[in-house]
Formats: sequence, C-alpha cells, structure tokens
Amino acid sequence: MRIDWLLGVVWIVGFGAFLIAAIWLVRRSERRLSVGPSDPDAPIAPEPSSSDAISAYLDRVSGELLLPAADVAEVRAELADHLQDSIASLEAEGLDRERATREALARLGSADELGRNLRQAHQSTRRLLAGVGGGVFAAGGGFVLGYLGGVLIALLLAMVVFVITSVLARLGLPLPDLGDHGDTLNSVLLGISVAAAAALATRYAVRTSAGLSRRAPRSIAIFWAAAGAVGFGWYSIFGMRGAQSWPGIVVDLCIPVVVVAAAFVRIERPMPHVGRWAVAILLVSVVGVSVLGFAFSAASVSGDALPALVEGGQANQPVDMHFDTVAPLAPAAWLPSGNQFYGGGSGPDWDGTQITAVVGPDAVVPMSTAMANWHDVRFEAWHGFLDNPSVSYGIDPHYSSPFAVQPAAVHDTYLDAVFHFERMRSAGSWWVMLTAVGPDGHRYRLSDGDGGSSHFNGSAWDWLTAPL
Amino acid sequence: MPGRIRGQLLKGTTTLLVLTVLRDGELYGYEIAQRIRERSGGAFFPSEGSLYPALHALEADGALEANWQESDRGPRRRYYKITQSGLGMLAEHAQEWAAFSLGMGHAVGEPNR
Repeated sequence: MRIDWLLGVVWIVGFGAFLIAAIWLVRRSERRLSVGPSDPDAPIAPEPSSSDAISAYLDRVSGELLLPAADVAEVRAELADHLQDSIASLEAEGLDRERATREALARLGSADELGRNLRQAHQSTRRLLAGVGGGVFAAGGGFVLGYLGGVLIALLLAMVVFVITSVLARLGLPLPDLGDHGDTLNSVLLGISVAAAAALATRYAVRTSAGLSRRAPRSIAIFWAAAGAVGFGWYSIFGMRGAQSWPGIVVDLCIPVVVVAAAFVRIERPMPHVGRWAVAILLVSVVGVSVLGFAFSAASVSGDALPALVEGGQANQPVDMHFDTVAPLAPAAWLPSGNQFYGGGSGPDWDGTQITAVVGPDAVVPMSTAMANWHDVRFEAWHGFLDNPSVSYGIDPHYSSPFAVQPAAVHDTYLDAVFHFERMRSAGSWWVMLTAVGPDGHRYRLSDGDGGSSHFNGSAWDWLTAPL
Repeated sequence: MPGRIRGQLLKGTTTLLVLTVLRDGELYGYEIAQRIRERSGGAFFPSEGSLYPALHALEADGALEANWQESDRGPRRRYYKITQSGLGMLAEHAQEWAAFSLGMGHAVGEPNR
C-alpha cells in the first residue's frame, strides 16, 4: 500500500483552512445583521419616545434604508442624537418644544430623500463586489459543511433504522429485506445530504453578502434564491449522478424549494453556529474520511485484489436455475457440433454497469455455418436472483418476459450485444442468455448465459427519461 | 460679512468642508455642522440632510473612521475621525478648490478701471 502523504496533508490542511476561513467570514460579516444586548458595539439609541413626530420621521428614513439591522440602528441613533441637539439649540433661541421639533426636522429635509441618500452612501460598488465575492466564498464553505452535516444526519438515520430493525427482528416480527432497497436508501440519503448542503450554502451566501455589501438580507435574498435554485436545481437534476430511486428523485426535486426556503425563512435571525468542539469533531471526521479515502485509493491503484463482482453461474450450480422459463434448450442436432453456444470465458463482461454479452459457438466454426439453422438471434436480459443467497442462481421465475432485448451482432466467430443496464431503472439482478428461432419456428435458448447484478447509475433526468 | 452662500454653490464642497473641520480632531455630526458654520463665519451652512450621507459615504470610502463614544449627555454619540486616506483626499480636494477658486477669481474679478 502506498499513500502519498504529502499530497494528503496538503489537501487536508488546505481544505480545513478553507472551511475555517468560510466560517470566520460568515461570522464576521453577519455582525452587521443584528443588534442585540450581546453586541458591545450596538448603539444605544437616544430616541426621545415622547415625540411621535421624530419617531415617525425616523421610521420613514428607516423604511428607505434597506440596510442591515446594525446600520439601521446606528443611523436612527445618530439622527435622533442630532435632532436632540438641534431641538435643544432651537429651544435656547426661544422656540417652544413643538416649533423647535418642527424646525429641526425641516432642517434635515425630506425623510425619504435622506433615507435614499444614506442608502446610496452605504451601498457602494466596492461593497457590492465584496458582497458578491464573499457570498460565493461563503457558499462554498457552507456547501461543504452542509454536506458533511447531511452525511452525519444520514448516518444517524441509518443507525436509527438499524437499531429499530434489530429490535424488531429480536421480537420476531417479519421485516422487509433492506438489502433490496439499497439504491433507494442511498439515493434518498444522498439527496438529503445535498439538500442540507444547498440550504446552508444559500444561507451563508445571503447573510455574508448582506453584511459585506451593507444590504438587508431580505432585499438580496431573491438573487441568491434564484441563483441557488437554478444552480443547485440543475445539479440535482442533471449533475448529481449515482444510484436513483423514485423517493430519491422526489428529494432531488425538492432541493430548489429547500434553497428558496433557506434564503428567506427567518433570514434576519442569527444562525446557530457550530462551536469549537463541533469544528474539531468535523475536522477530525474530515481527516479520518480523507485518510480512509487515500488508503482505499492506494490499495486499488497498487493492485490489491478486490472481490469479484460477477462470477459465472453455470458451474457448480446443480439446482434448478429456471432456464426453461426463457425457452427450451435448442436440440443438439441444430447446434454446431451438438453443443450449445458457449461464452468460453467471454460471457457477459462487467464494464461498470454496461454489460457486453458475448457468446460464441463451442466448436470453432464460422458464425455463418453455426447460425445456418437459426434466425432472429438475440440476447435477452432477464431478472435474476444473484443478490439473494437464499435463492438459487439463475432466472427469477416470477417474470415471464425479459426486461431488455438486444439483437445479436454477428461477427466471424462470435455474437455480441451491449446492454446499458446503468440506464435502466429496474436492472438489479440480471441474467443474459442467447435465444433464436429455430427451423420449426419456435424460440430456443442457444446458451445458458451468465448473470450478475447491476444498478442504475445516472442523473435524476436520466432516471426520469429511462426505459423501465 | 457676506450673506450665506447659496446652496447650489455649496454642492460638491461638503466633502472638503467636512474633511477640513475633522482635520483638527474627532467630532460628531451636529458638532461638524456647527464647526463648519463657525469656521466660515456663518457663510457656509451645509444642509443637515446632506451632511450625514456625505459622512457615511466618506466612511465607506475609508476617508473617515467612526466609533461610538459616551457623551456627557448620557447616550453614546457617533464620532468621526479622519484617516490617512482622508488626509490625502483632503489635500487633493484643497488643491482642486484652490485652482477652482483662483480661476473663478480671475474669471469674475473686478473689471479694469
């Protein structure tokens, strides 16, 4: 086993630094978004509660500001302070309180215009660019953190399911075999992880860019919601590849909705932040998973044997494999040298999830001679039982027809066809065999074929447009 | 003593006036307006409504720093302080104003007798 430790350390340190920088940026940026007793810089607004006119004026100014809460509070406090000084000065000149208040407000001018001018003063182009850049950076960190959090949630859910099923099994209750629903679980858990990542990324982006660009979160949430819904929506439907299932597709399609909700729901409220211990645990998890990943990849590259995924089914299988479900074996008289067609070691090949079915005649004769008695030669893919050890290898007799058929391409000494099981929703365990119509007009099997198991591997869009 | 200079003439000079009075030390908003009036002998009386956007814009540009300080009246006040960048900006504006003032003086100077 060879591990590139230097590359691993650089990767882990860089990744950890990126996450820490993203968290720091979010926490620093969102200081402007709220004003509370815990904020030592929060202004103590000296608003005179006795004057409705002043409060109404400040409310109108605030309505035009569209700034983060801290900025709004500061502007209100500063203007109220100014008005108090101005009123006191005017009263000293002999005006009564009411006239002094009116005059002081008049000197500040239109509340709407003052609010707009203050907003423009705060929302400079430089701050806007900083907000966009900071938002994108924070979104990256939020996506990674959210994904890791989603994975932890998914693992927690899996553990809960495991514990419940274990308890129920001990009680003797009949349970469905979860192994049959592996793709469903995987796709749902992946969808949940990406949804959590997209939600946190959007929330980080909104709050960071709001703080940096000095804008109220709600006033810019629409842009991040739109960008997130389009970006993550595209990714969840077209970009995210792997096992799929209908429940997983539903989760995937919910991701844009989750993004929009994350951009708006309680966006003014401070986010619960992970503490130091949580960060430490997260980093340790990242390190652990990274080390395992490197170790696994190193093992694969260095050639350590991995368990065979598919093994030929014909040998050492004395039990009934239900081949006659497909068709009766061709009479020996119609076969070359009396033997059925045989893969000769080149039977159905495993190539990811794409199956190349190759069958040649046992006797080496030209294919034109071997096929003299046959027409409509084709490979048929039937549901098999390979994944269930309690049932024999072979054809699943619950099905009366193949789930995929490919005409055989005739070559000099062999026949072949390609099945894209990764594009079929219900491939699962399969068995591929060669059939053809004989001189009597009936279909026979020319080869017992071979089997394996496969999984749908593609995007949500591939799933939605895939043949059954 | 000339009368108050008309608002149109003051447009664009607020930045120069604000930076000039802040060169001498920290001030809060109302104080800045008063100080400008005092230093100009009442000739310059910037609109209070335009003063705060100018202060906040200068702060956003890095020419000023603002901080909240306790005041003798109780509530905290927002004080402004000129930065090094602000001093540079002041020098530029003062130079521009001097050139403008000189040119304007020549252009509208008293006619030859």
